[in-house]
Amino acid sequence: MALSMIYSPLLLLLVSCSRRVVSKTTGPTPAPLVPTSTLPTYVKSVVLKGESHTERLELLNPVNLTLECTWAGNQNKEPNITGWWLKDGNDVPNSRVPVELQNEQYNLRGVFSVNNDTTLGNYSCVFANEARIDFLLEAPQIGDVREKPIVSYIGDSTVITCKMDDTKPMPITWNWFRDNGTEKEQIIAESSRFEIKNDERKTRLVVHDLTEEDSGLYYCGAVFAISTPMSHVKLKVITIMEPLKPFLAILVEVVVLVAAILLYEKTQSKKKATAENVPSADQNNTVTQEEPNGPEGSPSTRQRKV
Amino acid sequence: MSKPKAKAESGGDEAELPDGGWGWVLVAALFISTSLVFGLMRSLGIFFVEFVQYFEESAQAISWISSTGLAAQQFFSPLGAALCNAYNARLVVMVGGFLAGFGLILASQATSLVHLYLTMGLISGLGWGLVFTPMVATVMANFTRRRTLALGVAFSSIGLSSFAFNPLFQLLVETYAWRGALLILGGLSLNIIPCGALIRPQQQRPKPKVVSVKTTSCAALLQRVFSYLELSLLLERPYLTYTLGVTLFNVGYFVPYFHLVAHSRQVGFSEYEAAFVMSAAGATDILGRVTSGWFSDLGYFRLIHLMSLWTALAGVFIMLLPVSSLSGSYAALMVISLLYGFCSGALTSLVFAVVPKIVGVQRMMGALGLLQLIESGAGLLGGPLSGLLRDVTGNYTASFVVAGSFLILGTLTMATLPHFFSCTDPPQRCSQNDKDACSHPELHQMNSIPSDTMVQ
Repeated sequence: MALSMIYSPLLLLLVSCSRRVVSKTTGPTPAPLVPTSTLPTYVKSVVLKGESHTERLELLNPVNLTLECTWAGNQNKEPNITGWWLKDGNDVPNSRVPVELQNEQYNLRGVFSVNNDTTLGNYSCVFANEARIDFLLEAPQIGDVREKPIVSYIGDSTVITCKMDDTKPMPITWNWFRDNGTEKEQIIAESSRFEIKNDERKTRLVVHDLTEEDSGLYYCGAVFAISTPMSHVKLKVITIMEPLKPFLAILVEVVVLVAAILLYEKTQSKKKATAENVPSADQNNTVTQEEPNGPEGSPSTRQRKV
Repeated sequence: MSKPKAKAESGGDEAELPDGGWGWVLVAALFISTSLVFGLMRSLGIFFVEFVQYFEESAQAISWISSTGLAAQQFFSPLGAALCNAYNARLVVMVGGFLAGFGLILASQATSLVHLYLTMGLISGLGWGLVFTPMVATVMANFTRRRTLALGVAFSSIGLSSFAFNPLFQLLVETYAWRGALLILGGLSLNIIPCGALIRPQQQRPKPKVVSVKTTSCAALLQRVFSYLELSLLLERPYLTYTLGVTLFNVGYFVPYFHLVAHSRQVGFSEYEAAFVMSAAGATDILGRVTSGWFSDLGYFRLIHLMSLWTALAGVFIMLLPVSSLSGSYAALMVISLLYGFCSGALTSLVFAVVPKIVGVQRMMGALGLLQLIESGAGLLGGPLSGLLRDVTGNYTASFVVAGSFLILGTLTMATLPHFFSCTDPPQRCSQNDKDACSHPELHQMNSIPSDTMVQ
């Protein structure tokens, strides 16, 4: 956690539109600090309206970041208060300084060297425990995360994709990782079964000849100079038996239904046949002969079946 | 004198005129098979996302799968009808159900897109074609007074099953991936086989003619094929007029399904609001099918008049859709969509029910098959045409107006049918052989049934 309170000539990039106290002085510098790295510099200034505020910053490359906080104060308007910085909720050492009331405002400035994962995070400037501005520093996050696991079969191949939003900057490249129990292990494309296709904003990991051990979490990392934000996808490899079980159940149901229907019909037609057996001789006769059969009850027998 | 004879010779398990009884069991069978054919087809969209990712093909190439399936279903409809005329409907439907399931089961093993075209598209499409027309014709033959209601109830399955299948397919794909899901869907499609088994042989419509001398000469064979396919219908003006009218309907009918959501989004409504409009229209569609079926059978109006009413209204509402949404009012869009949904559902069952009024109950099977084939061209035309209009004009107004006008044009075509403006149905057509058919078509149908049972 490198922190240096440096007053140095700065390139100003004003984002908010309030009055700014620009200090180009080389003021009282306790330590002879010289910017040792050739990191570019960036300034972010925020004026606090109310009690707290959160500002998100997306960083691609390592920078020397200057964060300026301005607070209008409360009713008391004490001439001197204490201000300090927090990183991820913890006090930044040597950051507690007295803040003077200048032009009805309190100003607090911090300079941070942000160049990797540990230096990214939540920086907060705090005014005497009364006002606070949070700066969330992060690399561009991969949106569009697929929450449901990808399911595939043993012996089949599968495609896992990660995509960076069109609104976000393009990563330098993409890397893929696999959970090895304890840590993430990078997947190397040259190894037989894995194929990585990178496409600026999209990356595709193709895994051939899946086995059950291939199940688990896969991480795609968008590589930026400052950090490699990751997103994960879960892969689940199942055997063909899984869908086969419901399929066979349905098959059995179909066969049973067809058999039942045909059987039912056979019994119905058998009943019809036995009932019609008596006047079967008559059926072959012409129609007119049916009338004398009436008293014998055969037409009524037939009708009773209806 | 003929009445007790008719009752006695009916075989004992039907009323005088077929209407109800076992017919309702067939309606349930049609309900299930229609949902497994069209409800399934409508919900295949869920697979497409998976296919695009797995096969790394464009969305358009993937969408050809369902287009092939639908085209195959419609193309093979006359074949299904002809086979029913030649053999019996039960066998044809059971084979069709088997093919439909088999195609999907094979598709689960596909390793390339072409495999999917052949299995999900061609084989399953062939199966669907062998199922739909024969089942519809069989149900229609088993009802007289409540034909339209039976059809309406059965066709309501399409809307209802789309509601049920979408989440079900989603669940299947998430649990078993698309391969497992297709396998299970193939199994589900095999349920069409018991539906076909419910068709009882003695309840079929009688064969049109009995070819007394079986020759193997080319001419005789061609003549038989000609009669099985009912190709003679193509030479009759009423049938051709009707087919032309239905084809015109089909050009415009599907346009809202394709474009309503996109149009709503373009006019400024949110994704959720647009989807809700479609769902609401779907709900009134189901309501319209059943209601119009019930109302038509009350007999106050001729079926052809009711159908013309619904198609004209549907055309008008389609034309009003862009107008209402351009005014910016969500309520107006919703109301017009609900009305459109109701009218489009109402006309569906009537389109089928009118066919026997024009060609007679005997030739209904072949007529339906040919109708499906001819109207398929319109469906292929309507979508791209409306898309083209949208690309040219920049919004959907022109597409909707043109689609609505096609429906109205179709209604006007129907008005040229003979006896359109009379208040009663025209006399039934007389086929060459049976003079009885002219005066008592249903009675004739029923009279010949015992001869079938005797033969069997």
